[in-house]
Amino acid sequence: MNKPIACGLCDLVLPTPALTPGQCALCPRCGHKLFRVKDNAIGQLLAYSLTGLILLLLANFFPFMSFSLSGHIMEITLWQAATELYVGPYKLLSLLVFFFIVLFPALILTVIVSFLVSLNWVGSKMFSSTLVRLIFGLLPWAMAEVFFVGVLVSLIKLITIAEIGLGVSFWAYLVFCLCYVKVLTYIDKYQFWHWLDLTTKDE
Amino acid sequence: MNNQPQTSIPAHSFSPGSAAAIGLANCHSCGQLSPHLITHCPRCHARLHLRTPYSLQKTLAFLLTALIFYIPANLFPIMTSEQLGVIEATTIIGGIIVLWEMGSYPIAVVVFVASVLVPIVKFIILFWLCYCAKFGSPMSAKELSVLYRTTEFIGRWSMVDVFVVAVLVALIQLGTLLNVQPGIAAITFAMMVILTIIAAQMFDPRLLWDRLLVAPDNQQNAQQNKQQNNQQSDQQENKEH
Repeated sequence: MNKPIACGLCDLVLPTPALTPGQCALCPRCGHKLFRVKDNAIGQLLAYSLTGLILLLLANFFPFMSFSLSGHIMEITLWQAATELYVGPYKLLSLLVFFFIVLFPALILTVIVSFLVSLNWVGSKMFSSTLVRLIFGLLPWAMAEVFFVGVLVSLIKLITIAEIGLGVSFWAYLVFCLCYVKVLTYIDKYQFWHWLDLTTKDE
Repeated sequence: MNNQPQTSIPAHSFSPGSAAAIGLANCHSCGQLSPHLITHCPRCHARLHLRTPYSLQKTLAFLLTALIFYIPANLFPIMTSEQLGVIEATTIIGGIIVLWEMGSYPIAVVVFVASVLVPIVKFIILFWLCYCAKFGSPMSAKELSVLYRTTEFIGRWSMVDVFVVAVLVALIQLGTLLNVQPGIAAITFAMMVILTIIAAQMFDPRLLWDRLLVAPDNQQNAQQNKQQNNQQSDQQENKEH
């Protein structure tokens, strides 16, 4: 398969480079990463996405953080971190936080799993390509790892004024973030469409 | 097959060697090249364009809106805390100063970078990129491309402060003893971040290459490229014949 491709950043036309697993193709003119081929990418993607999804699900049911000050204890779940803002004029903000830290990451992982499964079991080009377009549309809006840094900053802010406890959810979300970042390293536009071309048929 | 598009578009307005210069549109959704006269990508059905239509106008529109949201985001409190009846409002900058005075230097630096430095750098870079794509630039297209990739990468990290507010508001609800409420700046700051992310998406970095590879100061370079390009297309034509 030696169709020409164009760099997405500078539009330079190139023959599709033939890569072996572990290699990454860079545009010779602007240095933009064109695509990368990884060993057993489909298996790894499935494994990390499913692990991430299970952990994210768990993170919703257990306490995330607790806070105690002179005998009063306050405990929140991950869900509450987003929905406690749902008051007065801050409803929009609450929804945004919920979308960015729970819904979009969960959707991306679910859609990745459905896409990989659909390649083998459905084989419909229309269905699979809708899923790929959904994945790349959602990607800029999932901010799980940014949220985690935010949690760490608030921990340090609070640690001087009160006792802070970390719940099961906190650790689940931490490992979920690691899985999610690992998944991100396997997401590659050219690879996804290449798999789609190989396995699905036009209707 | 490529002959028709080649004659119908002015190739000189695109950077030498680019897909657009030979009449091919790179699908923004799946990355497949198609003749630009087709309106939709045959593989993924996304709309095809040689360049993002009205890219600079859209980028500037989102950027200016973001700038408007950035003003209240700095002037109004991002959260207010009430401790035993004493209400204290903190702005983004105020919060950083408090952290610094408390001696949490690393966290003060993290928050400063995420909520002050990143947005300002992003505004400057995006305005600069729009200017360069329109009027030319003392920097090379490659350096500007690096700037563009940087803004795309750092944009989302400004959300840290908004998430800190969300966590604090959810966690610290001990009635009159101590409670934290969100402030107007939390929502305007979040809007600012979202708008700058969209602005960066709207900017088409290929315009930089189109503008700068044929600019007067790069003329020699461009001529060389053009010659190469002509040679290549001659060769192609020869092959086809």
